Amino acid sequence: MNDMDLPRLTGALRSFSNVTKQDDYNEESADLMLKRSKLQKQISDLGLTWNKIVKFVDDNLEKKEVQIVNEDLKDILRAAKQIVGTDNGQEAIESGAAFLFKTFHLKDCVGHNETKALNQMFGPFPSSSATAACNATCRIASHFSEDRLTALVQMTEEQNGDRVLFGKNIVFSFDMHDLDHFEELPINGEADAQKVISLDY
Amino acid sequence: MPALPLDELQITEKDPKTGKLRTVPALHPDQKADRCFVLYKPPPADSATARVEEYLERAAFIADDLDWLLGLPHKKFWCQVIFDETLQKCLDSYLRYAPRKFDELATPPSAVSEMQQRLHRSVFLTFLRMSTHKESKDHFISPRAFGEILYNNFIFDIPKMLDLCVLFGKGNGPLLQKMIENIFVQQSSYYNDLDETVPTILQVFSNILQQCGLQSEGTSTAPQRLAEKVRMTPSAMPLQELRDVVLYLCDTATTLWAFLDVFPLACQTFQKHDFCSRLASFYEASIPELDSAIKKRRQEDSKLLADLWQRLSHSRKKLVEVFHILINQICLLPILESSCDNIQAFIEDFLQLFSSVLQEKRFLRDYDELFPVADDVSLLQQASSALDETRTAYILQAVESAWEGVDRRRASPVKESP
Repeated sequence: MNDMDLPRLTGALRSFSNVTKQDDYNEESADLMLKRSKLQKQISDLGLTWNKIVKFVDDNLEKKEVQIVNEDLKDILRAAKQIVGTDNGQEAIESGAAFLFKTFHLKDCVGHNETKALNQMFGPFPSSSATAACNATCRIASHFSEDRLTALVQMTEEQNGDRVLFGKNIVFSFDMHDLDHFEELPINGEADAQKVISLDY
Repeated sequence: MPALPLDELQITEKDPKTGKLRTVPALHPDQKADRCFVLYKPPPADSATARVEEYLERAAFIADDLDWLLGLPHKKFWCQVIFDETLQKCLDSYLRYAPRKFDELATPPSAVSEMQQRLHRSVFLTFLRMSTHKESKDHFISPRAFGEILYNNFIFDIPKMLDLCVLFGKGNGPLLQKMIENIFVQQSSYYNDLDETVPTILQVFSNILQQCGLQSEGTSTAPQRLAEKVRMTPSAMPLQELRDVVLYLCDTATTLWAFLDVFPLACQTFQKHDFCSRLASFYEASIPELDSAIKKRRQEDSKLLADLWQRLSHSRKKLVEVFHILINQICLLPILESSCDNIQAFIEDFLQLFSSVLQEKRFLRDYDELFPVADDVSLLQQASSALDETRTAYILQAVESAWEGVDRRRASPVKESP
């Protein structure tokens, strides 16, 4: 049986009573795709744009170094193109490239967490492209101190630090209603019927 | 200067279209963030990697979004709650599809369990915040506006409250009780909705009886197809169908009980529909048949049958406890709490209620097993010297006669003072 088909009292109340908003859930079948694209927009709205990364490189490196780093930046853009696809335009590719830079700026390799983050952002992606982006980011990062890279990424991040989550001090219990032990209520049926069934489950 | 309630608060901001300053209500659709909450889907029944990954991705989106929501300032939170339909659908989908512990699904991988726990807490905290009209001295909504916001936007409805009770009532009962009571206090229209919902609950009882071939489908004079005339009794129906019926009964009994346990003030509304006697009739018609159907199937899947029998026993207990909560709330508590002058009406209610179920012998035995009727009658005798002894004797005699010919195996009565 499909989990979603488990018969529920509240399912019947939603279907047959007049006290709920009758929502149509069918249209939401592609909501994951929509969410991924929203997330990409959110990331770009946060401010770490590709242009800011390019400018950061230009402003902080010698001209000779910039030429070398530009090749690495192109590698990241190429990887982003393969991961994002060309259908979504240059803006989406640059937004994806900024995300790749942000994900790999302090990493040596594509680990489990990075794979998960990329998967969440883009859906399935070619691992070779992720590796190429990671290597290129590593090469770029080698020109800067960790503090400066962190400052670049953090100055553009959402200011979450001072936000207080509602209910963070509430003591929450994960305990849920379970089946009661039936020994408390023996069968009060016919005497002969009781002989048929074993209570020894 | 005292802070204004959020529903009266105005803010001045730059109009994004014209660039001019404008004053708008703090609760305004333009203040909603474009977040796009996704729907919740339960963990997969198996551990197939792709399905697990999809579950984790979807659940992580929801958990992150709810953390974001819970971190929003008061006014932003409420703008999102009121104007973001995707949030409402997301929360509703969680209540609908979150696994109940009594579903007894296979043990999921640890990553799934951890994610499910994270989600479970965040969903509860979101509903807690949505049921709180005064968050702090400076952040509050006027009670009247709060009641209207909840009701007009379907932020809470009766099925949602039932789901909340069955999902969170065990471990978070006192807090949930405050939440639900506050919702009903601030918006009495929910009592009307409850009143409209009870007939549908009774219809669910009828549907279960129909599925078991124990009740005809009304008195329609329209011609019936031949196939419709063949009624499947629990003993004859395929095992999977029997399983569905028992699962439905189990969920119905547990959800009803969980709701009344958290919010016993609903009892009066239930009883307006003669719920006690209809519950007893339903019990009498369905339980012996299902009991017997499970016992007779000794040749079939024994593990499944054992599971069904446990669920049926659990359902019996919950239905009996529902009846007890109703009796307790409608008659016994008022008798204990009232002065001597006005307890007669409650005593009369008690006597009438029990008189109406005396023919339901199987129900009466099971009720008496857990909540001895003699104890309640003794309470009445202590409360009123003018008690009609003939009627109480009649009730007690009927209870005794319900036990005749039955091997009486009295369990320890539930220790609970009314």
